[in-house]
Amino acid sequence: MAETLILLTIGLPWLGALLTWAAGDQHPRLQHTLAVAFSLAAGMAALLLIPFGKDQILVTFPVGGAFGDFTFSPDGLGVFLAAIATVIGSLAVIFSVDYMRGEAQLGRYYAFVLFFIGAMVGLVLTTNLLLMFVFWEITALTSYALISFHNDDPKAVAGGIKALIITQFGGLGLLIGALVLFSNTGSYDILTFINNPAVLPAGALAWMAFGCLAAAAAKSAQFPFQTWLPDAMEAPTPISALIHAATMVNAGVYLLARFFPAFEGVPGWREAVMAVGMLSALLAAIMAMVATDLKRVLAYSTVSQLGYMVFAIGAGGVFASQFHLLSHSVFKALLFLGAGAVIHAVGTRDMREMGGLGQKMPFVRLVFVIGALALAGLPILNGFWSKELILEAGLEHGNPLWMLIIMLVVSGLTAFYTFRMVWLVFYGQPRSEVHAHDAGTAMKVALAPLALGTLTTWLLAGSFARLLSESLPAHEIAAHPTAEILLEVVTAPVTWVALLVIGLGLLAWWQRERLMGISKALTGLKNLALNSFGFEAINRGVVLGMQNSAEKLRDTQTGMLNWNVAYLLIALILVLAVLALGVG
Amino acid sequence: MTLSIPTIVTIIVLGLIGIGIYALLTTRHLIKVIVALQLLVKGAMLALVLAGYLTGQQDLGQSLAITVIIADTIVAVIGMALAVQVRRVIGTLDLRSLTSLRR
Repeated sequence: MAETLILLTIGLPWLGALLTWAAGDQHPRLQHTLAVAFSLAAGMAALLLIPFGKDQILVTFPVGGAFGDFTFSPDGLGVFLAAIATVIGSLAVIFSVDYMRGEAQLGRYYAFVLFFIGAMVGLVLTTNLLLMFVFWEITALTSYALISFHNDDPKAVAGGIKALIITQFGGLGLLIGALVLFSNTGSYDILTFINNPAVLPAGALAWMAFGCLAAAAAKSAQFPFQTWLPDAMEAPTPISALIHAATMVNAGVYLLARFFPAFEGVPGWREAVMAVGMLSALLAAIMAMVATDLKRVLAYSTVSQLGYMVFAIGAGGVFASQFHLLSHSVFKALLFLGAGAVIHAVGTRDMREMGGLGQKMPFVRLVFVIGALALAGLPILNGFWSKELILEAGLEHGNPLWMLIIMLVVSGLTAFYTFRMVWLVFYGQPRSEVHAHDAGTAMKVALAPLALGTLTTWLLAGSFARLLSESLPAHEIAAHPTAEILLEVVTAPVTWVALLVIGLGLLAWWQRERLMGISKALTGLKNLALNSFGFEAINRGVVLGMQNSAEKLRDTQTGMLNWNVAYLLIALILVLAVLALGVG
Repeated sequence: MTLSIPTIVTIIVLGLIGIGIYALLTTRHLIKVIVALQLLVKGAMLALVLAGYLTGQQDLGQSLAITVIIADTIVAVIGMALAVQVRRVIGTLDLRSLTSLRR
């Protein structure tokens, strides 16, 4: 049963991808229908898979000796992320029916979206590290293809290539981790490794731990790789919601959470993870305060919230990080899709040209404000509970207090930029002549469940904790009932400090005119933030360097068959020589 | 001096592969490339049969050889079809005129 469901959850989106593509672009209605049907079916399969989470099943597909068996385990961490990928995936597909109406080449669009959903499910369910790397790279590839979906737009193409190159560095880290594991144990199996990390010598374990940290940082757009995510906002908005907010960028957090029991003992690893998370959260929050592009603000807030999750894992709060991941996926998908409805109606992403849209789009305003309150961390929405759990985790295990204080400050900054964004878009006077209309039916169908989820997913805290604690013995997650978790949050002093800081953030936006003096004094910081604190230049340098060296390699491609055969022959002789020397 | 059968076959294999590679390295005519490829593959096929004979797995070697024959026929047919199209579109079978993908 579990075996069939796993196959369905991965296979249905991939089959759908093929069929939608084969349907042909001259039948857009058929393409919309097929994509929605297959993504919904995959979502159902993933939800049905959740009850198997606690059984610790291992499903094996033997594929011969070279790569180890293809193994899948629907444990708590995996099924929950698979459910997020497919359910939010199907909502994004439904939203696309309105958003992408009339676009050319829908087949390419839907095929890549569905291909992505299947690969994401495979990534989180597999327990074979090499197979995980393959799925990891498929998600990177589809992310690139979808960022550059409008391939006649140079900005979209540049953004896609940048994302591809930077996430490849992360892929290398994961590959190094996989090879280190294989060369030391002769197997790619993750579960045996996590249950007994001592199979690796300390040096190899450190290599693998920091390789995985680099992989996670690149994938989740964490410091110092954070600049690809804002540029990825050239993608169609449902893609930003699905891949660059709710699912793919969580893969890095998932990787860290999955390997936490194995790596927590590596000297300096937890501190490094916390520092990466803290720096990402802080820098991205400051950049979000000055950005004027609606989607870029959301992208920076994604980096910042992912920083919270990474920080939580470093602080030892795996449950808090995964719970925030769940909350964040729901409310950030809601915010992105809401922003998509706004952008679709207004035709621009620049918040300076918006304003006063609330009257014309009451439904979108309602759901967007719900998402924004959750992002700001106001009670009683899901973002509040999970963020407070993270801050509490920052207090435990003897973690440095100054890091926690910075995270508290960031929650104030979050409240500030969130309210700035909501105000600029929906309130105040209209700043330009735009003909806005409220969202279409398919958009509303996609937005409503997400808004409902934002209001309610925190009620799942208890069952979620039980699922994780039962299926992940090595992670030592305590299973408390929902009421106990909520009571713990409400009675913790750090919660009230955080609420105070959030209140200060709101007050700062309320009294922004009186604070003009301070903001003038901080002009230098603002300019620095607008330039991404210089990381933009470094990352662009890396991307340009990569492209230039690739251009140089062009000289080796003569296009002449004779030369190619000569190269083949030389390579063959070299391999034979190496083998002869190696054996002798 | 009498040569054993495996030795003779080995010489033939090496000869076929040598001729094939030499032709691939030097010829610039598309049809000749296809012919050279055929020689090369026939050498490889003979090597398979020989390997099966030497390891006592004749049936395996022969069935692999038959597989190669089938794949190789397809390669030849598609190669010829491509050559016809190249001749029609570009007007020549010279390999040097086929580097149009290079910028």
